[in-house]
Amino acid sequence: MNRNLFFKEMRRNALGLAIWMIVITLLIAVTMSVYRTFLENQSKITGMLSLIPKGALQFKGISNFNDLLSVLGFYAANNVIYMMLLGSIYAIVLSSNILLKEEYSKTAEYLLTWPLTRTEIFLSKLAVLFINVLLLNLVTSLAGFICMEVVKTGPFSIKAFMILSLNTFLLNILFGTIGIFMSTLVRRPKPITTFSIGLVLILYFIYTLSKITESAANIGYLSPFKFVSIDAINPAYKLDCWHLLYFIGLSLVLTRLAYRFYKRKDIYT
Amino acid sequence: MNTPIIDIKDLSKYYGKARGIEHVDLQVDEGEIFGFIGPNGAGKSTTIRILMNLIFPTGGSAGIMGMDVIRESKKIKQHVGYVPSDANAYSSMDVFEFLSYCMHFYQPENGSRRITELSELFELDLHRKISDLSMGNRKKVSIVQSLLHNPKLLILDEPTTGLDPLMQANFFELLRSENRNGMTIFFSSHILSEVQMLCKRVAIIKEGKIIKLEDIDTLRKTQLRKVNIEFGDSNNAEKFSVPGIEQVIARIGNILSFMYSGEINELVAILATMKIANLTIEEPSLEEIFMHYYR
Repeated sequence: MNRNLFFKEMRRNALGLAIWMIVITLLIAVTMSVYRTFLENQSKITGMLSLIPKGALQFKGISNFNDLLSVLGFYAANNVIYMMLLGSIYAIVLSSNILLKEEYSKTAEYLLTWPLTRTEIFLSKLAVLFINVLLLNLVTSLAGFICMEVVKTGPFSIKAFMILSLNTFLLNILFGTIGIFMSTLVRRPKPITTFSIGLVLILYFIYTLSKITESAANIGYLSPFKFVSIDAINPAYKLDCWHLLYFIGLSLVLTRLAYRFYKRKDIYT
Repeated sequence: MNTPIIDIKDLSKYYGKARGIEHVDLQVDEGEIFGFIGPNGAGKSTTIRILMNLIFPTGGSAGIMGMDVIRESKKIKQHVGYVPSDANAYSSMDVFEFLSYCMHFYQPENGSRRITELSELFELDLHRKISDLSMGNRKKVSIVQSLLHNPKLLILDEPTTGLDPLMQANFFELLRSENRNGMTIFFSSHILSEVQMLCKRVAIIKEGKIIKLEDIDTLRKTQLRKVNIEFGDSNNAEKFSVPGIEQVIARIGNILSFMYSGEINELVAILATMKIANLTIEEPSLEEIFMHYYR
């Protein structure tokens, strides 16, 4: 890894990261601010929820209406979606551009002709991606934690909260590696931002469809969202080793492939 | 015998089925100013991009300072400066930030002083944003970054695009001075006059192949002659044909102009049997020699 490149890249992405942090934190804060009102009107809301198909509630991690009465259940059902979806969009947009932007903005003509190996460039950019996604997750999870502490009416499981946050982080990292992998396959130096966002939304749609349609339950396995359990209020909620292996394994494989392709990639500007 | 500073052997590059360069052999000696000339699409940038390890060859090999351009790319780049044809630097940075960023990769001695010196020479405002600079000024930034670490080899791909004539003259003077101090310069261009002004040796590339590798002076002293004949009779201009005519430049009325590579005595002997109003035999300009190779 090259420190000069790493710190320059961190600075270049700092503003974007700050904006994403602020937006997601605000969304979490706004949603959590209605928790107390929700509790006060639970009988009306429970009645309204009974009209919603069970599948649609399950997709939000709600297996029981009472789940929403717990602060963690409320947080998991309403906010993790922001962190899962928006965090993944952030990760894939950042990662699909982090190498490719040097090509389409023609700066690769400099970066790759300075005394750096492609390994150093790849690792520096990968470290920037990892740290940016980590910081986004830390800040938004911390915001979620503080909000829960402020509005809670009883204790909640910190362990379950940590597992939930770890799952979201791993999902975001996986999308980060998908983005960097895709960018190394691109031959024409053009941004792939729209395609990347589209991919996240399609995979999210597949996941949603699999949750609300019993006959389409199996297609959910095509989507990484399927492997994030948000049923945090369930007493049996724990870190699933297979899911962990899926996220870490797939991320490592995609990173390895991306590195291999980048090492031999013809760089056009 | 000294190892050439650039050693290209049987180098080929194809973009799918499309030709980039084919079987290019080229050696550049240490300390020379070498011209690499050809029109757009001839393969100049492809060759340079392989040397800079931006793209990978389909076949053959290329070395700089005895090192392989793929395996020892980082070591090579410590000693090479490069000016790309498209001078798009990091637009969000100002000039000083960009040059400092670049300098940190080389860690040269007196780097900051070098930035100041070169910026003054090229009249660059260090505090202007790169996105606000004109094409010419961006080119100057690109040239300055290539010289910051006093490279042993400077590779220039169309370096004068956007530079005004006065700045071009300063730039050429700087190149000559750096060359006197031992820097080897590989100068790629499609403008013959600037290659002629600066280089001692030149390679002409056409459709991906080197078609001529020669000293500029030898190239000038080629056997090729430009012959202009004004016949007394326009029929003769139409019919005239002798072995050695390489290329007819003009055949208008009773005037015939052509490039001739045969024996002058034989031509004159044939012409002596005809009615001639005027005859000039001249050394072609380098531009005409170049065009001759390109037809």
